Amino acid sequence: MQGLKLGIAAAAVTAGVLLGGAVTATPAQAKDIVINMAAPDWLPTRFMQEEFNRTYKAKSGNSVKLVIDFIPWPSFYQRVAASLSSGEKKYQMIVTDSQWMGDFVEGGHYLKLNKYIEADPELQATLADMHQVLKDTASSYPATSQNFYGFPQFPDNLVTFFRTDLFCNAGERAAFKAKFSKTLPCYYNEWEQVDWDTWGNIGEFFHRKKGEKLGAGTADDEFYGVAFQAGKGYDFSSMQINTLVWDYGGGIWDETKTAPAAGVVNSPIAVKAMEKYLDLLKWAPPVAKTGQMDIFVIQDLYMQGKVAAIVDWVGLAGPVVNPKVSKVSDVTAFAQSPGARKEDGSISRWANIGGQPFVLTTWNNDEVVHEALDVVKWWLSKPTQVNFAKAGGQSGMLSVINDPAYMTYAPWNRAFVDNYQWQKDVWHIPEFFPLLTQQQEQFDKAITGQITAKQALDAVAAYQDKTLKEAGRIK
Amino acid sequence: MTSPPSSQTAPASPPAAPPARSARGFFGWMLAPERRGPLLVAPAIATLVIVNLFPLMWSYGLSFFSYNAKYLKRPPSWVGLGNFIDLFSDVDVWERFQNTALIVIGSVFLQLIIGFLLALLFSTEFPLRRYLLMLVLAPMMLSLSAVGVFFKLFYEPTLGFIPRLVQEFTGEPFVILSTPTKATIAIVCADAWMWSPFVMLLVLAGLVSVPKYLYEAAEIDRAGAWRRFRTITFPYIKSLLLLALLFRTIETFKIFDVVYVLTEGGPGSSTETISVYLFRVAFNYFQTGRASALGYITLFAVIVLTSLYLYAINTRRAEPG
Repeated sequence: MQGLKLGIAAAAVTAGVLLGGAVTATPAQAKDIVINMAAPDWLPTRFMQEEFNRTYKAKSGNSVKLVIDFIPWPSFYQRVAASLSSGEKKYQMIVTDSQWMGDFVEGGHYLKLNKYIEADPELQATLADMHQVLKDTASSYPATSQNFYGFPQFPDNLVTFFRTDLFCNAGERAAFKAKFSKTLPCYYNEWEQVDWDTWGNIGEFFHRKKGEKLGAGTADDEFYGVAFQAGKGYDFSSMQINTLVWDYGGGIWDETKTAPAAGVVNSPIAVKAMEKYLDLLKWAPPVAKTGQMDIFVIQDLYMQGKVAAIVDWVGLAGPVVNPKVSKVSDVTAFAQSPGARKEDGSISRWANIGGQPFVLTTWNNDEVVHEALDVVKWWLSKPTQVNFAKAGGQSGMLSVINDPAYMTYAPWNRAFVDNYQWQKDVWHIPEFFPLLTQQQEQFDKAITGQITAKQALDAVAAYQDKTLKEAGRIK
Repeated sequence: MTSPPSSQTAPASPPAAPPARSARGFFGWMLAPERRGPLLVAPAIATLVIVNLFPLMWSYGLSFFSYNAKYLKRPPSWVGLGNFIDLFSDVDVWERFQNTALIVIGSVFLQLIIGFLLALLFSTEFPLRRYLLMLVLAPMMLSLSAVGVFFKLFYEPTLGFIPRLVQEFTGEPFVILSTPTKATIAIVCADAWMWSPFVMLLVLAGLVSVPKYLYEAAEIDRAGAWRRFRTITFPYIKSLLLLALLFRTIETFKIFDVVYVLTEGGPGSSTETISVYLFRVAFNYFQTGRASALGYITLFAVIVLTSLYLYAINTRRAEPG
């Protein structure tokens, strides 16, 4: 019995020592606070970790440590969803795709921030400085409401990456003019006139066989004109197809209303837009036929010098201009992505917004919440955002992007800022992932030629109506 | 407490040793020989219960409920056999079983042929045999995801090794994963590349167990190569081949990693196996109850295959020699 008592006592002492390591100190002393944050593994989050370690000092006097759990993009959603649904309460903050907002708010995992914002003038100032489109798409749930859950960790949008050695080559420009009676875009203002038809012309024009003339030299391999997202994984096809649907005047199911998806998702305009998208794929590299032309594949093909121009996220531009990994680093420039020409001659350039907000989780105590919000304020402060922009990141803060100096930080910043006015988002409702998974599968069937655009959109509309009806979101 | 012996009465025998428990305390009592065995296996049993039996029972219970694991505060609602009935009447599920069957048939057949031929090759002595054997065995030691990534890169139409090799001869881009048929063949090839060495190992074990004198006798009798194989070699390896067939069928039936990495079930859903579909139902659609039911249907199929496997083992044991 004595042995048992000793054992229990030893266990209690050990537990006390272990627990003491996590929650230290008397109230008068500075505390050690660790903020674990789930985040995708890429430049914006790597930079945040480095910058935090280098510069952050908590105003409270506590010793605050930010520990980012870098998760590879392809498994990011599953890892976060698994962590939250397991109830392990591992993360105090999460970098989240805007679409996940409803899912995890309804699940009781994301913390509503209104009361903290109302009590903190600094947070109010931060919120006021955010671009409106980010408040609507990346911060609030339901979308565009005044219920705030997140702040932009990294805003992103789709831009055109193009080869100046080809697009600005006098011979190529003359040949393009002769063939299509259009200007081959070289300068930023010329790219502003590029619509999806011209994008197709570019695709056709720059498709060269091995040994054919290309720019100032010859193609050393099969060369392709254009590439853009057409991947079954995650949301790749949807992000690009949504863009064309909106550009041509169509729509996706409107989450702010109770009207059904049928008639909108598969409207004649949406079908026409998707047919245009499928038609453009013929000028893309052959990987498009496999339904695996995702954002990383097109980035890689472009960096390997296999494609003349791509539409991809600004967030992936950094490696493209890095000579250590890119063969085209010195001949790459950026412009707004193409759009659809309207009857009045102007171009509609709607696109699906990218980037991620970061949120706080509901199981944090008040002290952790305040420290985490201080980290948010630090990250969105002008000095940090400027450092981030200089390192290749983007900002969603008006005080930063409206500063003329912002355009000088990175070659893609002008296109990035100009795009802000054209951003929309996919749904934020809790059913988003089933909707997305089914849609991706139907789009993939269309991309790989198994069904037509109309068949794909009809199937998507039918599934959305069934799912949304079951969820009580439509009448 | 033991009282001291009385000075008036001499003890009849030396005082008995104090009970082990009081002398060595709780740990001594615990580590007594009769308890040592159960104590040593207790952690393993506890681990088995926690990580295996409990989740198994829990998921079995969930298979009778409608439940979304993301919403911890929403209680599961009882649907009885609803999930099972839905699954059996769902064309998507049958399509996935069909995809799985196609891959299993193609891959296992190819593994048996290649594994058998490799075993025949390595059953003879030739220079560098040991080193080549190690090389041939390497694929089955790799991680499944790594094999998926290797083949994804091999098959990549613009930069991949295989399309580029074909293009050298045809002059046209060769796109392997563009149609359901080609994508299925691509998965079968990747899986067969990885697991043929396993079949080879089993068959090789049978081949080396054939007594040499049987071949010598057959040679004296002027038996042809085919007759020697049919009457001497094959009887020794047939039960091992059956084991290989069943074992690989069970494993290939559960194929996930290679498919998920290589095609993600595409084009469309044409290569989506039942395991990949199960993953999607559980972690994309988050239909936790339905996924549990599908897991049990899959488990039932595997149990049937495993029973065949055990039957084959018993048959092998019953064989003389």
